[in-house]
Amino acid sequence: MQREEKQLEATLHAILNRVNDLKSAIQGLIAKLETEYETINWPTFLDNYAILSGHLTGLSKILQNELAPSLRSVVVLPLQLGCERDEELARLSEGRVPACTHDLVPDLLRTKPEPQAEQRLQQLNHKASTLSYDTAQKQVAQFTKVVSHVWEIISKGREDWEGESMRSAGIQPTHSIADTHALVTAVGTGKGLRPGMQPIGPPGVGTPGMGQARGPTPQMGPATPTMPKAPSAIKTNIKAANQIHPYQR
Amino acid sequence: MAVNAAPITATDSLSQALKANIIPNQEYLLQGSVLDSAVEVLLHRLRGLCDNVDAGPETFDDQEVCFSLRDPNQQSTPLTLRVRKALDARDMPYQLRYIGQPDLGDKNRPTVVRSSLDIACSGMLIEFLNELGCRIEFEYSVKGYMFRKGRMKITVAKVFKISQSSMPPEPISQSYLVELSVLAPQGQDAIGEDMRAFADQLRPLVQLDKIDYKRLGHMSVT
Repeated sequence: MQREEKQLEATLHAILNRVNDLKSAIQGLIAKLETEYETINWPTFLDNYAILSGHLTGLSKILQNELAPSLRSVVVLPLQLGCERDEELARLSEGRVPACTHDLVPDLLRTKPEPQAEQRLQQLNHKASTLSYDTAQKQVAQFTKVVSHVWEIISKGREDWEGESMRSAGIQPTHSIADTHALVTAVGTGKGLRPGMQPIGPPGVGTPGMGQARGPTPQMGPATPTMPKAPSAIKTNIKAANQIHPYQR
Repeated sequence: MAVNAAPITATDSLSQALKANIIPNQEYLLQGSVLDSAVEVLLHRLRGLCDNVDAGPETFDDQEVCFSLRDPNQQSTPLTLRVRKALDARDMPYQLRYIGQPDLGDKNRPTVVRSSLDIACSGMLIEFLNELGCRIEFEYSVKGYMFRKGRMKITVAKVFKISQSSMPPEPISQSYLVELSVLAPQGQDAIGEDMRAFADQLRPLVQLDKIDYKRLGHMSVT
């Protein structure tokens, strides 16, 4: 019991905070509208609405919290109505509710939505229940079509605005991945750099399966006639060195 | 006056250096390329970002020859050594470089990490390697610009195939190779993050990434 009371108190406290934040946000919005109505622009206005919706979301989160005790089971009853000004009440409500009179209390403690809203809601409910399934489906389809159409227009517009800067850089790519790979393999493994070979020649050249006493620049077949003297000089050197290679490593 | 203090030998200082882990024997590398049409823009951007550009970007013109030393008995992977000589500064020493296999362990590592040892040598290097039994695998020349930013070295260079006749070297592709590398001792992995941050500043002009060329080399050419 005590735990529940504490929980109740904590929840009420949280709700009170949220509602106060919401109230101050609405106050701010109204003040802004009244004072800056000539200079205000749509995005600023939307920002304020976003603040409001943020507060409302917070409030609904608290209410949906499982830890919150079921507030439906708690009832607020006015125990005494009076016409005299109550200083305590006036202070609590920041001067808006000076007395617990019988015309204010039904509105303040109301749990059902106000009469106009309730009537409207009933009308809509009635209309919805008289619709046949087919017409309802058609209406839903139309609605989705309209919404997707609007979505396309907006996304195209966004692409146009944001794509300007990105596209102008993208039209001329400044580096090519293929070239990067080619350069790195050339520098690392000599692909495409061995003489007599086509540039970017067949891969894995030379190194596997090479004989020992073969020449220095291993060629797969076509020994081109432009083979110069320098490698052959090295060839003879290597041969000599290999034959008398004293070390095991 | 400690007259009888023994002189410090080279092996002592070397082992001290090894213990203190100050020898820069790891290379952290990111590679990419940029098309010839866009290289000017890249150079301008690098001039803005990098340090050593007081008198214009530093150019270099090198020839690199890759040797391999095979074991005649075993068919294991040969040892590859690279010799680089400067074609525009003839009296600079030759650079002998050993590059190890890249460390493929960690996929999340931002850069390629491989061991790399550089030694400056005299011009007798080629003969010496030949006497050892090394054979020339391939050679190429690179010509381009070099930038520095802190410890990072960025090179933008064109790779040329050296033709055997006296024709001028021809480029092997329509792009410049861009490399971002840092030589550091083992264990300084934080530099990889700095490199990645710098590489992001060059996007979308150049996409610097870790590229596993061994894997690419075995793929079929499309």
